Amino acid sequence: MYLRPRVDPPLASLLRDAPFLHALCDALGSPLNVLLPETVAENAERFRSVYRRHHLAGRVYFAHKANRSSALVRRLAACDPAAVGIDVASLEELRHALGCGFTGERVMATGPKDRDFLWLAARVGATVNLDSAGELEQLAHLVRRYRLGRVDVLVRLSEFESDGGRTGAGTRVLSRRSRFGTPVGRAGEVWEALERHPDAVELTGLAYHLDTTALEEKARALERCVLLMDECRGRGLRPRAVDIGGGFGAGYVADAGEWERWTTALSEAVLGVRPPLTWRGHGYGLRNEGGTVRGTAALYPAHRSVAGPGYLDALLSRPAPALGRPPATLLLEHLNDLYVEPGRALVDQCGLSLARVLDVRPTGDDPTRHLVRLGMNAGDVSLEEHGVLVDPVLLPRAGAAGRRDAPPGGGPVGVHLAGNLCLEADLITRRVVYLPRLPRAGDLLAFVNTAGYAMDFHAHHAQRQPSARTVAVTRGEGAWRWCPDEDYWPITDPQGGPS
Amino acid sequence: MRYDTITEAIGNTPLVRIDPTVHGLRHIDLFAKLEMLNPFGSVKDRPAWFMARPHLQEKAGGDGTVVELSSGNTAKALALLAGLHGLRFKSVTNRMRVPEIKELLLLLGAEIEELPGQSECLDPTDTDDPLTRFHQALSEPGSAYLHTDQYFNPRNAEAHAAGTGPEIVKDLDGRVPDWFVACVGTAGSSTGVARVLREHDPRVRVLGLVADKADFIPGIRTIDEVHQVGLFDPATYDSIASVTSQEAIDGMVTLIRRCGLLSGPTGGAAYRGAVRHLASVDAELAGTGVRRTAVFIVCDRAESYLSYVRRRRPELLGGTRRGHSAGSLTDSEVRAEGRTVGVDGARRWIAGGDPRPLVVDLRGPHAYAALHIEGSVNIVDELFEELVRTGLPFSKRTPVLLACPVGEKSLRYAALLTRMGHPDVRSLAGGVVAWRDAGAPLIRE
Repeated sequence: MYLRPRVDPPLASLLRDAPFLHALCDALGSPLNVLLPETVAENAERFRSVYRRHHLAGRVYFAHKANRSSALVRRLAACDPAAVGIDVASLEELRHALGCGFTGERVMATGPKDRDFLWLAARVGATVNLDSAGELEQLAHLVRRYRLGRVDVLVRLSEFESDGGRTGAGTRVLSRRSRFGTPVGRAGEVWEALERHPDAVELTGLAYHLDTTALEEKARALERCVLLMDECRGRGLRPRAVDIGGGFGAGYVADAGEWERWTTALSEAVLGVRPPLTWRGHGYGLRNEGGTVRGTAALYPAHRSVAGPGYLDALLSRPAPALGRPPATLLLEHLNDLYVEPGRALVDQCGLSLARVLDVRPTGDDPTRHLVRLGMNAGDVSLEEHGVLVDPVLLPRAGAAGRRDAPPGGGPVGVHLAGNLCLEADLITRRVVYLPRLPRAGDLLAFVNTAGYAMDFHAHHAQRQPSARTVAVTRGEGAWRWCPDEDYWPITDPQGGPS
Repeated sequence: MRYDTITEAIGNTPLVRIDPTVHGLRHIDLFAKLEMLNPFGSVKDRPAWFMARPHLQEKAGGDGTVVELSSGNTAKALALLAGLHGLRFKSVTNRMRVPEIKELLLLLGAEIEELPGQSECLDPTDTDDPLTRFHQALSEPGSAYLHTDQYFNPRNAEAHAAGTGPEIVKDLDGRVPDWFVACVGTAGSSTGVARVLREHDPRVRVLGLVADKADFIPGIRTIDEVHQVGLFDPATYDSIASVTSQEAIDGMVTLIRRCGLLSGPTGGAAYRGAVRHLASVDAELAGTGVRRTAVFIVCDRAESYLSYVRRRRPELLGGTRRGHSAGSLTDSEVRAEGRTVGVDGARRWIAGGDPRPLVVDLRGPHAYAALHIEGSVNIVDELFEELVRTGLPFSKRTPVLLACPVGEKSLRYAALLTRMGHPDVRSLAGGVVAWRDAGAPLIRE
């Protein structure tokens, strides 16, 4: 019942250096976040190569909300300015991006915005991704009142489903409703508002972001945006780019078979035909109604055969629902640039979270099942909060002589991973995690691939427990080097002078 | 055979023996129950009619809508039955995975609703799945929906207990087969038939086939999905085995090419699953002198699954096409033989050439309508590919300027047309994008 993580080479080589990771944790405490800034630049390059394959121009904007780190943002700031930008969703994210080296024109301000956020975005020449017609009015007012230059704006659209428009008759592809953006059916109001404020704003493109893994829904929205771009041009506006948001996904579990066996077993456990796989029989949203499984497992598809840049490629390559030509061709033929805003997919394989094992003891009711208490809590590694199920990697402590040679018992052992809060519900995961052997106090567990939303998104100071420090590591000559996240600069050799 | 209505033709399908030299079982007679010969084309005609009949007659001619979670044969049968009674039909589905079936349903007048995909930014506390909302909408007061509920409706299985099961026993001269093999979709046919067979003779063995979890076979559910089926009861089956789409297609090809049975992939899966399971039994029967019988269901026909086969086994649908094709040129041939002209040169050529070139825009018609070079004609690349396949679509005396978005496709065609003997074809370097970036004029329709 393993769900072993997908670990690509740089991260794999870091995991093999257990003494280095132990030393880091000894010095900086548990929990500890470790980031690989080089990998985020490599991921950006992978997205760019999909652009090149389809001859598309336009930027890849990193969705900053996925991780608060400075090292990642600074490393991306050092990438080609024409290729890589940043998507910020708050005033502080904007300030952080600017402080990390992004110039204003590489910044996209998204989400609902207050006046301060709008002012600074306008002041530094960022592109404002407008959430509503009201926000446009507010921005235009600010620009005039404070004599800011004309601001580039995108208009975020939503509710493509109810838009009968030009997608195949007879078939309705349903989508979840979103709180964000202007419904396509009311886009006319936004065009009129844009035309009222030509001195204050310039439409540079249209945007959408759909919270779905389904290519069908995204292809429909993309195609509709391409047609709406032409409608805008017909009105004399001059948009150039379609921003298709994020949601490209990441694969966490390496082996499809493990993921399939586990999810099958979850159904069986819910039906009661096999022992529970979870803390107190939690069903992750599945329930047993008279011998039939009802409900949907609220789980992230942890094994993905297509994710990240590959997902973008698939979206661009499949035929669009109404016009039949692939979205990449439509974008290109209609002379549009493409913007994407990957978060999770851009920081895929960019880091891990370490926790010290504090205590191991058998659970009361089952002597073979152990409770492992960690020096972290569920807020520090919020994989579970995002429905992501994947095993941590056990890094035994090599210190005491002979201990590694005599592991107690043999073979995989099922454990519950409990956090450091005095709170019944503080479990790192409700899943029974199988480890190759029983951990001991002092060992480390490494949660791999936590840089996207799972590292600091939900971290807190409840019970005054320490929150994780974050370090950036780079591969030096034959050894890993580290520095605090806030001290990393792309030109700096960690722990030393300029490289 | 004379009927007043087509629904009378549902059922009484043939039971056909499979030639032993095809399946290779020496001590087992294998029979195919040809449910594909039902009037609407599948095994689902029976339950669709059995489930809908009481409501259809009562609501006929009203403004009701029959609704079902189906992306295949049940939807097909219900769409026809609804139309026959002056009602509408709506199919709600996760995804229509076979394009021909989707188009066929639209032809039959069905309305299709596809449920949203899984959330990418998951909120694990939100367990309110789209299906729950679907059921809520159906049970709202005043709802004009008639939900047949095939995964839970006991009449689904009863249709087979009343029809398919007894027909098999009758055609085997009152004997019950030793094995009954069925693919599990709604579990209706296996549950209904198994019940009747066991009543006749409890020694019958029932094999249920499910799809391999990472795979897709139309009409068959995976082992996880069957647990979500209300009619599915593990006690119905003596064993459950999984089949892959490759096995399904192999079985389908055998039934078609060797047995004269125009089966679809689901029937193919049942055949392959049956033979695989029975092979070991057959070996044990050697020398005992005992003969056994087995029956499997051929659920529907092949025609709707051409794209399904094309995706998985393109070689079964024939070889490549002949004629001139831009794809046949190598990149170096394209570079060596394709002539280009830059934006400035092209503008001078268009304005003052003698004769002036014919400008062909290879982009899609919507893109062309939105912005194009004045005087150009639009021949979309797919059509252009067809035109050049059999010969030059222009006179050799007319110079041609080809334009595509970035000058890549147009260069390929310029090379091809040159090779086909045209003396003056040039590709617009950098395409319409370069044209725009140079500030050259583009007009709208």
